[in-house]
Amino acid sequence: MNPLDKPFAQLALVLVTVLALPLFLKSGILATEILIFAMVVAACNLLLGYTGLLSFGQGIFFGIGTYVAGIFLTRWSVPVPLVLAGAAILGAATATLVGWLSIRRQGVYFVMLTLAFSQLFYFMAYTFSGVTGGDNGLLGVPRPAIGGNALDGPWSYYTYVAVCFVVIFALLVMVTQSTFGRTLLAIRENEGRAAAIGFPTKLFKIEAFAISGAVTALGGALHAMLIGVAPLSNIEYHTSELILIMTIIGGSSSLFGSVLGAGFYLLLADALSTIWPRWLLLLGLVLVAVALFLQGGLWGLVVRGYDLIFRRDRAPNTSAEEH
Amino acid sequence: MIDRRRFLTTSALAATALAVPGLLTRAHAAGEALKIGIPVPISGAFAANGKFATMGALMAAEEVAAAHGVQASTLDLDTEGKPATAVRKVQDAMAQDGVKLFAGGILSSESLAMGKEIERGGGAFMTTAGADEITGVDCNKATFRWSVPTYGAINETVRPIIDALPDAKKWYTITPQYVFGDGLLNAAKDVFAEKGIEHVGNSYHSLTDKEFSGYLTNAIAAQPDVLLLLNFGAQSSDTLRQAVSFGLKQRMTIVVAWASGLEQFEALGPDICEGVYFGAQYWHGADTALNRELVAKVQEKHGSNPNYSFAGSYICAKLLLEAAVKAGSPEGAGVAAALRGLKYEGLTGAEEIRAADHQVIKDYYLLKGKAKADMANKDDYAEIISSGKSFLSPEDAGCAMPA
Repeated sequence: MNPLDKPFAQLALVLVTVLALPLFLKSGILATEILIFAMVVAACNLLLGYTGLLSFGQGIFFGIGTYVAGIFLTRWSVPVPLVLAGAAILGAATATLVGWLSIRRQGVYFVMLTLAFSQLFYFMAYTFSGVTGGDNGLLGVPRPAIGGNALDGPWSYYTYVAVCFVVIFALLVMVTQSTFGRTLLAIRENEGRAAAIGFPTKLFKIEAFAISGAVTALGGALHAMLIGVAPLSNIEYHTSELILIMTIIGGSSSLFGSVLGAGFYLLLADALSTIWPRWLLLLGLVLVAVALFLQGGLWGLVVRGYDLIFRRDRAPNTSAEEH
Repeated sequence: MIDRRRFLTTSALAATALAVPGLLTRAHAAGEALKIGIPVPISGAFAANGKFATMGALMAAEEVAAAHGVQASTLDLDTEGKPATAVRKVQDAMAQDGVKLFAGGILSSESLAMGKEIERGGGAFMTTAGADEITGVDCNKATFRWSVPTYGAINETVRPIIDALPDAKKWYTITPQYVFGDGLLNAAKDVFAEKGIEHVGNSYHSLTDKEFSGYLTNAIAAQPDVLLLLNFGAQSSDTLRQAVSFGLKQRMTIVVAWASGLEQFEALGPDICEGVYFGAQYWHGADTALNRELVAKVQEKHGSNPNYSFAGSYICAKLLLEAAVKAGSPEGAGVAAALRGLKYEGLTGAEEIRAADHQVIKDYYLLKGKAKADMANKDDYAEIISSGKSFLSPEDAGCAMPA
């Protein structure tokens, strides 16, 4: 195992990132958005990198978290910790349902099922505008308050999100290092063999979905509080696509790769969007480059660089199986 | 006798004393620099609108700077057409650049979200977005809207056509199924009921539809005299193209209640637009003093006519910047106070910002597409049939302005 892949190294990198972002970024909002998406992308990585499930349903869970925050905070002023817990529980429940139905098929049919669910939930949100606000979304989502002081400043809310992010990331690292996480890798590598030796593979996949859904919904709730609105776009298919793109760019072999993927995408978008209207074309080229030459994503590049600098003999890890 | 050391000390103090007022004046002047954020989609599906909006705002800033001797600049903020990105960019502009004035928000969902955020940040915002809620149930003390809401758009298109075509008694509608579309549809139904028009059917479609032939087939089956399209942007263009290719123009009158203006005519071309009625917020051919002036300036600077995105952004930025000059500060409260109740000669003639809901009371145009042979120049796609002001009262619109 590359030293960078060890759990403590991953956690150390996350802590360094959380502390470094305020030093290098002027925008607390952008820094907070990076952490929220890093959390969400890490949850997607649990499915894609560790279980081998390419899910287009992540936007569903993100949107559900967004709406839980929007509805409970604007209509009933429920305490934020309860809202976050509620978002995670509802996200897990929805992911369990989506996962339970989707894993009945494999490969392209599994992908199509998650895509279909994504569209289904989008149109539900669009249709039940009395609940979700429809195309206009739910406005005026407040930020949490500590000691009676609302975290309205960008860096104060960043601190709040950073604490959530570090805790969630540590829990995800624990999950991937546990017997459960290693069983997911076994399922990804050879599901038939994992089933033959007695693992209830479907149950494991559903549990992976539930964990991923809970974390993604939590991210959605934090995002609604960041921007003060629960928009319909958060439950769109494009959100699922965005999360997957970040996951692939960052690299699905490591949870910290998710942080790199989210940071790379959001910083690139922020820098390029006002300079060049067709900046998404560049993103397409990056994806082509990653698919052709850098299948370990940015994390693979980091590991290669580490090996090169420290003259290590072994080849860099490009998959999560060696964890 | 003064020694050298004392002479140098005295000279330095004197020089400082002389320089301080100048330095203070310069600092004051720098403090007077006005910066206006232009949150519009610069990339993505609505990038073309965003490009013209940034050009319009820049022209307004240059004009205000020249007219009032202040520094005025624009800060382009790419919303990518997404409310989440729009709000983030606005938050950043307020926190990092100290921007308090914002003109933009082409899409309703973006504008509603940004309006709330700008209110929270103590700024002022003027938009051209269409959602009734902006100056209706979601009105707030920081948000102003230049464009006419759905009630006025319908009343200034449907009503004059009913009067002009007394035999056209059966109307069919095609509507996008969301709040904006329903706003237009409900207003149209009210006019139908009042005028004794038979509403022979309606087809709802989603915001993602691109294929409308099924809805048009339903419309043909209902045998209406008039087909009223209540969608907008690319969807209304697609519906109109398909309607024309189905031969509906020969069988019934077609009305597009909420057209995008010159941009849409350019995309459709005169063959499709000929004989079709369009409702529009702005038309470069409008005969008003400010519009003539704007058209001349844009032609001189860019070699083209201003379209709705350009003109809407221009007037919103101009009103906000002039209000900031009048208030002596870009802070939202002062700017809003300067705007509330303001009467001025605008692009559509006499315009007024209603104090109760921050809605600009202005004309809405009914245009009719010209035949290619009748066009005097490449942009002379339509003639103005009528124009007028129709607005719900702030109470009927649902605005309870926060104190």
